[in-house]
Amino acid sequence: MSERQRYIKQGLLTVLPLFVPVIPFALAFGIAVDVAGIAPLLGWSSTPLMFGGAAQITLLTLLGEGASMAAAVTAALIVGARHLLYSVTMAPYFRHQPRWFRWVGPYVLIDQVFMLASTFEARHDPDAFRWFYLSAGFMFWFLWMLFTGIGLFIGPIVPDAWQLSFAIPILFIGLLAAGINSWQQVAVAVVAAGVTVALASLPNRSGLLIGATLGIALGFLFERFRR
Amino acid sequence: MTVFIAILITGAGTYLMRGGFIFLLAERQFPPLALRTLTYVAPAVMGALVMSMLTTPEGSIQIGVPEFAGLAVAAILAAKTRNHSVTLAGGLLVFWLCLWLI
Repeated sequence: MSERQRYIKQGLLTVLPLFVPVIPFALAFGIAVDVAGIAPLLGWSSTPLMFGGAAQITLLTLLGEGASMAAAVTAALIVGARHLLYSVTMAPYFRHQPRWFRWVGPYVLIDQVFMLASTFEARHDPDAFRWFYLSAGFMFWFLWMLFTGIGLFIGPIVPDAWQLSFAIPILFIGLLAAGINSWQQVAVAVVAAGVTVALASLPNRSGLLIGATLGIALGFLFERFRR
Repeated sequence: MTVFIAILITGAGTYLMRGGFIFLLAERQFPPLALRTLTYVAPAVMGALVMSMLTTPEGSIQIGVPEFAGLAVAAILAAKTRNHSVTLAGGLLVFWLCLWLI
């Protein structure tokens, strides 16, 4: 197997266990579209056009509740604003890359792809990075297309008592714990988490952004005064 | 029609947020301090994201013994094994077990 095939295969396979916890989220998406009274195909069109779970659910739920287009769009964009941070973090890896990849790559830069790409062991090799990134990103994309479609039919009939949606925080705490290698990173995660809880009542989940920003500021201080 | 236009605008905005700095900064050399600071983005955002999922939009936290036990087991399994299937299975099993016992 060539090196290229090996990295592509690695990208495709790494995504599978990460997608399992996303299945309940696809069902939740189906429920949200159903509750909002939006036609299934119209609701599903947000999957290829936005490709972002929480932002899709936020937008469609608010529109269904009768919010104005401006308010719903703003809220969904604030929910997705953490992607600005991913964009800055990923920029150095796009430096020695062909132009087309700089245009295609951002389309699939979701939470999980960001975590996989920023901890991928061969990320400093531009070719390996590109193959791994694209195969993982578009595998996730394909599965999300498929399962949000299925979710439109199944979502409304799954019993609430299973609390399947708890798989999502488990997924993210797993990504967090697997990516940490220093006590400073632990401190940053704890501060970001604490601030987010303290500011949880702010509208549009903006506490998340403030918490994350303060955490990164603490990380900057750690690096600035490192001996 | 309103719904479709809203989806289009949010989709374009999401793409620009994901791509903006990649388009602007890909040709530039980053200072080392900036590169080292960026290694904190993932832990900070993930820590904030998990907590945001465990709070209601009104600001109350929804974390009981089952949630705490499930997350703690998942974090330990992820740090030890770095295997996401094991992490998910262990975390969910402990969560469901606690729900059933309590």
